Amino acid sequence: MATVKLTNVKKVYGKDVVAVQDFNLEIKDKEFVVFVGPSGCGKSTTLRMIAGLEDITGGTIEIDGVVVNDLQPRDRDIAMVFQNYALYPHLTVFENMAFSLRLKKVPQDIVYKKVTEAAEILGITEYLTRKPRNLSGGQRQRVAIGRAMVRDSKVFLMDEPLSNLDAKLRNQMRAEIILLRKKIDTTFVYVTHDQTEAMTLGDRIVVMKDGFIQQVGTPEEVFDSPANLFVAEFIGAPKMNILESKLVSENGQYYVDLFGKKLLVDGKKGEYFKTKAVKAQDIRLGVRPEHVKLSDMTDKSAFECTIEVNEMMGSELYLHTVTPNGDKFVVRVQTINISDELRHSLNYGKKIYVTFEGKAMHFFDKAEGKNLINA
Amino acid sequence: MGGLSASRRASNTLIYIILTLMCIIWIIPFVCILFESFRVETTMQVGYVIPKQFGFDNYINLFKETDFPIWYRNTFIMGLFVSVIQTMFVLMMSYTLSRLRFKGRKGLMNFMLVMGMFPGFLSMIILYRVLSRMGMTGEHSVIGLILVYTASSGMGYYVSKGFFDTIPRSLDEAARVDGATRAQVFGRIIMPLSKPIVIYTVLCAFMGPWGDFMFAKYIAHGSSKGMNVAVGIQYLIDKDNMRAAHYTQFCAAGVLVAIPITILFMCLQKYYVEGVTGGSVKG
Repeated sequence: MATVKLTNVKKVYGKDVVAVQDFNLEIKDKEFVVFVGPSGCGKSTTLRMIAGLEDITGGTIEIDGVVVNDLQPRDRDIAMVFQNYALYPHLTVFENMAFSLRLKKVPQDIVYKKVTEAAEILGITEYLTRKPRNLSGGQRQRVAIGRAMVRDSKVFLMDEPLSNLDAKLRNQMRAEIILLRKKIDTTFVYVTHDQTEAMTLGDRIVVMKDGFIQQVGTPEEVFDSPANLFVAEFIGAPKMNILESKLVSENGQYYVDLFGKKLLVDGKKGEYFKTKAVKAQDIRLGVRPEHVKLSDMTDKSAFECTIEVNEMMGSELYLHTVTPNGDKFVVRVQTINISDELRHSLNYGKKIYVTFEGKAMHFFDKAEGKNLINA
Repeated sequence: MGGLSASRRASNTLIYIILTLMCIIWIIPFVCILFESFRVETTMQVGYVIPKQFGFDNYINLFKETDFPIWYRNTFIMGLFVSVIQTMFVLMMSYTLSRLRFKGRKGLMNFMLVMGMFPGFLSMIILYRVLSRMGMTGEHSVIGLILVYTASSGMGYYVSKGFFDTIPRSLDEAARVDGATRAQVFGRIIMPLSKPIVIYTVLCAFMGPWGDFMFAKYIAHGSSKGMNVAVGIQYLIDKDNMRAAHYTQFCAAGVLVAIPITILFMCLQKYYVEGVTGGSVKG
């Protein structure tokens, strides 16, 4: 059992630099929670407060029901993996991993057993006698994870552990962390600025901005029902298209007025507007690039865009286009779904017709950017 | 191409000639002292360098006829104590200033910086009075001098603080999360990584008592039993001293003083250049 509960947690640096505000979160036992957000959003600060490396200005942090605000890091029974690995350069890999056990005066045979077991899982057995300086980045990160693993601690904290690795290694380590999590089955708090890591690793994602939590939810919830414009644009790549639009109601149906075209809001979202009798208003309409479909002039709901850049990503094309009123609009096209002829014609200046379905639409109020659904 | 290489060769030659000359000028006094110390034909200062007769008479007489062994022992004891105490003070002070954030930290650092700019001998008279009341002058000046040398040594924190600042804080944090107390972080992580600066501090501290003249002379107050080597060997050639003619012994003493420092330096100098933090964190 290891829950982590943060209640009204606040962090202020100096007199008035607020890093984290009103942070409320209950992390369940054995849950994998990811804090994600742009740099300076307070995610690392929050993690470091859980670790005890930063003082807490206000609120309480509980681990397993015990308030740990004033406990030293070593009394919190946590393990942490740092962004820059933070291996002890004068110790061998074995001694690096054994360091915490040595401090606890664990008998030598148990130290040996635990370290070799962890090394086995991480595939670093052959490096146990080396010094960190003789390891590659990926190997160092494994050692750092191993050092945290041997602790058998209540909570496993990871502060951007993959951000120093190159793209290929990062993908590989991400998969390994998923596997590792199954093996060590404890409570994880993971900090990243990479939404892909957040989506793939987290049971729940905490999206943060400027010290405030924007949304807490499963990867699905955060992706499908972003609480506000910030979350909508932050999660997903390329980011969600946002267009100025109007929500109108006619004959009991809701439509979106876009460049003079009326797009029907059908499905669950249409039903939601009907039952809540949402009034017609100016909105910001969000559509993910992957939910946009290529169409043609004959389609009444399709509108015209002009291609500016065509990014060839292999299996997909990212078409960066401009709408009739000059807004940027990105369309993601699976190359396998279109003819070669069309594919090669998608160049600068080409006009294309695009449309999307009601279920692909996200509606945000114009003033505050909050999602109109579930708002 | 040829012209460039020729001009480079010329400038290199010039540089080497200048450097060689500077080396010779720098080394002449040492060579002279070495020769003087082996001179047997006379104990006086003479107008030539190379002795007519070589021998160890000066060294033997130094031990037989003078208090040199006492001065040497005094200085060695002071060196030992000062190097241990001062290293502890300096390193703990530097680590604290490098890692902990507390009220008045900046102010304290500035205060110590300014205090350090005042010459130490400003406090000489009052220190003598204090030590004299405590019976730590004259014959017993060794203890007094150890106090004088170590008391304010924490103020010399700049160099080692600069070194500690280069050790990533995440190492401290990792160790603290791993279960270490601040003292354990210092002892088990920071100290092993700081060999160069520890050695530097030890060397400086050890060498202090060997070279100090002003404080040592004042506090020893003419008592031969309480002198360090610098004061002692100056006492050998003192005008008031009847042994004013013992110039060659003075030189032999100089050579003997240089020996421990040279050995220490040669043993420890490799740590000066050893890079130790490689591989600990992403560069």
